[in-house]
Amino acid sequence: MRVITCCKAVPEAQDIVVTKDRQISIEKAEWKFGQYDLNAVEAGKQIVEAVGGQLSGLCAGGKILDNSKLRKDILSRGLDDLYVVMDEKMEQADTYQSAKVLEAAIQKMGDFDLVLCGAGSSDLYAQQVGNQLGELLGLPVVNAVNKITPEGDKIIVERTVENAIQVLEISLPAVFSVTSEINVPRIAGMKDIIAANKKSVSKFTLSEINADNLPNSSSEILSTMAPEQVDRRLNILEGESDEVIDAFVKLLSAELK
Amino acid sequence: MTVNNIWVITDDQNAVGELCDGGRQLGKQVSVILFSDQNRAQEAISSGADQVYLFGQAGESVMIEDYSKSIAELLRAEKADLVLVYSSIRGKLIAGRIATQLGISVLSNVSELTVDDGSIIVKHMVYGGAAIRTEKALTDTVVVTVGSGVFEAMPKDAARQGKVNEINPNVDNAGIRILETRPKQGELVNLSAAKRVVGVGRGFAAQEDLKMAEEFTALVGAEMACSRPIAEGEKWMSKERYVGVSGVVLKPDIYIALGISGQIQHMVGVNHAKTLVAINKDKNAPIFKQVDIGLVGDLYKVLPKIAEKIKAQN
Ligand SMILES: Cc1cc2nc3c(=O)[nH]c(=O)nc-3n(C[C@H](O)[C@H](O)[C@H](O)COP(=O)(O)OP(=O)(O)OC[C@H]3O[C@@H](n4cnc5c(N)ncnc54)[C@H](O)[C@@H]3O)c2cc1C
Ligand SMILES: Nc1ncnc2c1ncn2[C@@H]1O[C@H](COP(=O)(O)O)[C@@H](O)[C@H]1O
Repeated sequence: MRVITCCKAVPEAQDIVVTKDRQISIEKAEWKFGQYDLNAVEAGKQIVEAVGGQLSGLCAGGKILDNSKLRKDILSRGLDDLYVVMDEKMEQADTYQSAKVLEAAIQKMGDFDLVLCGAGSSDLYAQQVGNQLGELLGLPVVNAVNKITPEGDKIIVERTVENAIQVLEISLPAVFSVTSEINVPRIAGMKDIIAANKKSVSKFTLSEINADNLPNSSSEILSTMAPEQVDRRLNILEGESDEVIDAFVKLLSAELK
Repeated sequence: MTVNNIWVITDDQNAVGELCDGGRQLGKQVSVILFSDQNRAQEAISSGADQVYLFGQAGESVMIEDYSKSIAELLRAEKADLVLVYSSIRGKLIAGRIATQLGISVLSNVSELTVDDGSIIVKHMVYGGAAIRTEKALTDTVVVTVGSGVFEAMPKDAARQGKVNEINPNVDNAGIRILETRPKQGELVNLSAAKRVVGVGRGFAAQEDLKMAEEFTALVGAEMACSRPIAEGEKWMSKERYVGVSGVVLKPDIYIALGISGQIQHMVGVNHAKTLVAINKDKNAPIFKQVDIGLVGDLYKVLPKIAEKIKAQN
């Protein structure tokens, strides 16, 4: 079975700096692959471990994808190889544009049985690129997939909707977005990190995958601003002694009156 | 462009009132797509719908998402300006599929929706809540997903008139069959209305240790909530109780965080608390940059002592 997992590199939210007038700066932020895309990688890894096959990673983004440390990190988590689509336009791509580019890349990557996406990208968290990609490819597409069991040329999945669990039988190839509770991603060991050095990385430009005619943006960004900050008292006590606990309880009780 | 035709799509009847209200505020004509029955359709009309399109159940093994092509054709034929899709799991998949049929993006999880000079303007969080983005939609039809709490349902009016259209949809069977649907016990909690909330995080090492937090919560007369990993990774608490950018947003008088690091994705859900309190053993935990009262200490040691002292006061 050939599984393709889509992963997006994003700036760490915690590193985002608020400058004056609630403007934000991501300049100093470290870039990482989205937390929830690691669940998709792990889900893919478990499938190829169970039934054999190959696990490929696919990411589209801007210049940051040239960073070899970033690429090695995602490779070390169980991918056999990585496909990278790099273009500045991808930095502000909306969900439809992203899905279009991933579709074009997948056409270029050859035969596959399953495409996996994460529960949502860590920057936009639109939870839509997987859905739109599946529809573009004209394949069975499901979100909120919480368990995957391959059965020959079909696959059985459990999907958690609000008040029920659906058990679905799905023909392959298919496109799934997995939940963040489907598994606990393994932590890469020394061996995985060394092995990541030898894995193949294929780089494409948009024109190499016949995607230079991106559809128009569906929206125009007017502003991106930090939420209004609340001033806090920052009354912080330290220690586990009776005196400290007494002081803390006094402060707390005043609030609970 | 003027915004006339608003469409509402929901698989959850409870969302009809709020979304219809949104529709009435933003446009002239509100049409609602439902997957249920005549009674629910009438209820939607009393909630503000002018037209209801009732998509019949094609069979137990068919997903309602497989009507997406039919829905997209209907939206195109009726020249929908704005489509408000309830952001349930099924709603999100329907939104993604119909937007793709229309060749556009989905504007997801919007927290505010306005019409300015004929343009649809939305706000939604990005970077895990570190920023709020304002966008102007540029497409002829605009597809957004909206959760509960963005609009307020109007009182129902049984005298309202509207039309119900029954649709026999084409099932665009994409190779998916429902084998079984197992009902899941959802929990009925209304954390967003709670005045006092205690939140627990991964500082708790085992599920049985939550007992300690439960006792403390009862002692201070609060509701218990948690960080996402406690509900999703560990599954120690139900998903209705996790707080943050992708969970519940609270507005309590006081929020007490126990063993929570204070990542932005969590804090977005508690920033509106009047008073923020945290106990964490790491004095460099980000949460200490945004609390009113903090205690740096091992919760296993300090929480029992605190509970004891509060009990002694009562
Ligand atoms: C797109 C996206 C959306 C997300 N949405 C949400 C969301 O809505 N809500 C949410 O909560 N998270 C969300 N997250 C996850 C979020 O980024 C954090 O991973 C999560 O909030 C961390 O939970 P935590 O604080 O319980 O765990 P940790 O970050 O592991 O923190 C545990 C804390 O406990 C402390 N501790 C450990 N032992 C003790 C002890 N004995 N006594 C006292 N303190 C102790 C540690 O010092 C640490 O600070 C989201 C992430 C992404 C990428
Ligand atoms: N630029 C991208 N490159 C690779 N995968 C992506 C990209 N954007 C989104 N995805 C995938 O689609 C999922 C949903 O993204 P989103 O709709 O932005 O929340 C992510 O978890 C990824 O698996």
